[in-house]
Amino acid sequence: MGVVTARDPQASNASSQRAGPRTAAPQSGFAPWKNPSLSPIVRFEGITKRFDDFVAVNDVTLDIYEKEFFALLGPSGCGKSTLLRMLAGFERPTQGKTIVAGQDITDLPPYQRPVNMMFQSYALFPHMTVEGNIGFGLRQEGMPKNLIAERVDEAMGMLELRQFAKRKPNQLSGGQQQRVALARAIAKKPRIVLLDEPLGALDKKLRQQAQFELMRIQETTGTTFIIVTHDQEEAMTVASRIAVMEKGVLVQVATPGDIYENPKTRYIAGFIGDVNVFEGTVSAIGDGCIEISAKDGYQFKTRSSEPVSVGQQVWLALRPEKIRIAHEQPASAVNAIPGKVEDIGYLGSISHYHVRTAPGERITALRANAAHTVERPISWEDGVWLDWPVDAGVVLTG
Amino acid sequence: MNKNFSWFNLTSITFGFAFLYIPILLLVIFSFNESKLVTVWAGWSTKWYSALLENQALKDAAWVTIRVGLVSATVSTVLGTLAAITLVRMGRFPGRTLFSGMIFAPLVMPEVIIGLSLLLLFVAMGFDRGFWTITMAHITFTMCYAAVVVQARLQDFDKSVEEAAMDLGATPINTFFQVTLPIIAPSVISAWLLSFTLSLDDLVISSFATGPGATTLPMKIYSQVRLGVTPEINAISTILIGIVTIGLLLAAYVTKRQTERSERERRKAFGAAG
Repeated sequence: MGVVTARDPQASNASSQRAGPRTAAPQSGFAPWKNPSLSPIVRFEGITKRFDDFVAVNDVTLDIYEKEFFALLGPSGCGKSTLLRMLAGFERPTQGKTIVAGQDITDLPPYQRPVNMMFQSYALFPHMTVEGNIGFGLRQEGMPKNLIAERVDEAMGMLELRQFAKRKPNQLSGGQQQRVALARAIAKKPRIVLLDEPLGALDKKLRQQAQFELMRIQETTGTTFIIVTHDQEEAMTVASRIAVMEKGVLVQVATPGDIYENPKTRYIAGFIGDVNVFEGTVSAIGDGCIEISAKDGYQFKTRSSEPVSVGQQVWLALRPEKIRIAHEQPASAVNAIPGKVEDIGYLGSISHYHVRTAPGERITALRANAAHTVERPISWEDGVWLDWPVDAGVVLTG
Repeated sequence: MNKNFSWFNLTSITFGFAFLYIPILLLVIFSFNESKLVTVWAGWSTKWYSALLENQALKDAAWVTIRVGLVSATVSTVLGTLAAITLVRMGRFPGRTLFSGMIFAPLVMPEVIIGLSLLLLFVAMGFDRGFWTITMAHITFTMCYAAVVVQARLQDFDKSVEEAAMDLGATPINTFFQVTLPIIAPSVISAWLLSFTLSLDDLVISSFATGPGATTLPMKIYSQVRLGVTPEINAISTILIGIVTIGLLLAAYVTKRQTERSERERRKAFGAAG
């Protein structure tokens, strides 16, 4: 987990910065969900899906706006794929309505919906060439042949597939197949493209390339993309907003930066990135800060955006990179605890320090390796002090 | 000699194949016998083959057999494919177990019972027994084989390929003809071949369902054998064996070439992809 999550801060920064240039008005940033005059392109209204006794999707209400790159994130079995399949029309919701561009499409069959999907298995037609696959949807519309050829060529150009035009899917590598699947999904120029774990079959390096390709295609076509993924790093990289699902319920919908910095629950804090969590109760409230008596005896002072009352059980979530680590006790730190370095995860650009505190808690702190040296200032078994300011942590009530 | 080939293995293979194929080999050899007696060798001749060409009854029987085979194989392949699609794609529906049980029951049902019950049905309904009753009887018992063959293929093919077609705007009918059918085509063809072969050599059910003027080749051969084996029977059997062998070799050749080609193309693709 450590290696993957180590990138999270960078990933979230990258995507929040990227949100700027993709919009027409750079000052305001791309945030159609904040604009009350815009109506969403996709609206799930109280969607519930039951399979016998199992509730796959539980009362989900969600708005997705035009030109968004929207991610549905969650572990397998959380209902994210079922939600996407209901939008594509492969499953019918037990309750609720699906509205696309103002039209209720709940009862429309898949072949009448203005959405196209890219499947996890790619689902390419094995008996057709790359061209045939990409043009399939256009042929269903009865488009004239020369127009089809034009559109197919355009899609192949966009995904660098022209040299494979006459090949069959089984003559392509995994990465090429993935691009054909994407080309086929965008060839009809749908208003919404659905991506069901589109990069799950690729290895890590290819996956990162493909993520940027997805973003490029999404930006150049100006289409709304909705992606389902269990890879939080992927969601952080590509998405304008992320909806985190757990057991069929929508837990939080926010931008990647917001989800990372202000997770709503311990589940989200732990699912997206690394986090240290202290359990405790609120002991005092005052001057914009609250004091928490942690279970293992510490007293922490922190800001809280959540309304809390004295005596309430809360959790303080701290990201590793927000914790400072030093040999000496910091002179004026508000929150400081001593400990002993147990493990060091050296990742080149940064190091993870796993510190064991006196009560036995294990805390992870992160430090950039800024100095050009292989000598590490902090070593195994060193006694260290960990400290963080009042605004470093997030107070969670659930 | 290959060290994996012990004497024991070699001997058992020799005896095994001898047991299976010597009778057939003898039959083929004696079809070229000059003598009228089946068991006495009197030199090479092809006269029984020319006699065959003049035997109108045998030729008629062969023609009936082929027509029954063509019609029943085609109908049972269509029905079997539909049944397989229902079983694999429609999910759970009330009576699904009963439906699949009833489709596959003829696989294990004794032929005599199928034949007898069909005969009773035809009599009760007042059908004139003949070509069409034989054809119907063959459709009933070959359909389950066709269903099994197609079902096996449908089960291991990715359902999302059909979903993708519908997602791209193809109606269920178009999806079936443009995507599903081309993909399962090889299994549909083998289902047809299997049904045709089964129909070709069926004796028991045909005997029950037949009427005047509709004698199939196996029935003809059987009735002639009861009067004594003539070299003519050997000759027609040899022709049947020849047809089946050629068919088998052809099927094997086509399959092998297809695998080789796709294998070659795959290697080329990965070579190009680097």
